[in-house]
Amino acid sequence: MLVITRKPGERIRVGDDITVTVLEVVGSTIRLGIDAPSEIPVYRDELWEAVKQENRAAADAGVDELPSAPGRTP
Amino acid sequence: MQIDSTRFGTIEIRDDAVLVFPDGLPGLPGERWALVAARDDSPFYWLHSVDHPDVAVPVTSPWLFFGDYEVRIPEDEARRLGLDDPADAYIVCVVRAAEKVADFTVNLAGPLVVNAATRTGRQILNDAGGYSVRHPLLSEVELDEVQPARAAVPVTAASG
Repeated sequence: MLVITRKPGERIRVGDDITVTVLEVVGSTIRLGIDAPSEIPVYRDELWEAVKQENRAAADAGVDELPSAPGRTP
Repeated sequence: MQIDSTRFGTIEIRDDAVLVFPDGLPGLPGERWALVAARDDSPFYWLHSVDHPDVAVPVTSPWLFFGDYEVRIPEDEARRLGLDDPADAYIVCVVRAAEKVADFTVNLAGPLVVNAATRTGRQILNDAGGYSVRHPLLSEVELDEVQPARAAVPVTAASG
């Protein structure tokens, strides 16, 4: 793991094609600009973790019978 | 090909019923999946792993339960899916089942988008904001108002 200090306007480069720019720091909020090739998905980690957790929970719900749609029209 | 499902026993899957998620589903193993219908009158399918016989998640078409649900597919995700025509997008959401159907939740923030023409899929983060990964499934309709699911890709029957 790398820990470095950056100021607004400064960048971090990850490999050849990814740059992360510190755009603005306001209080405890940091605005970042991320420039990555389109084949590399970039997500907010907490959202991605939430999706991961839901997928696992859905797979492990322990329910094997799902209900039908009782009111279906013929 | 064949899945020796821990839930449904042996299921024969036609080649054209295999959905490939090249980046997988976050948190779950395997890239190849198939929609399995345990019964033909249900609003739910199982998205069953082809390679892991004990892995399956319930999914549903969100519009069966939420008439005005919106999905905005980020441009780069559409490009990864080769989705040029929105009509090719077949969308389902992962359902978290519970003992009582009143406690079921659905992930409206991270829908699965399948290009029905190529049967390639990705789980995306919905750019139409404000949706939860754990939305109560029956918050707008009763189960008995809901129609059975229909898929734009081949579905495999679990029995027979």
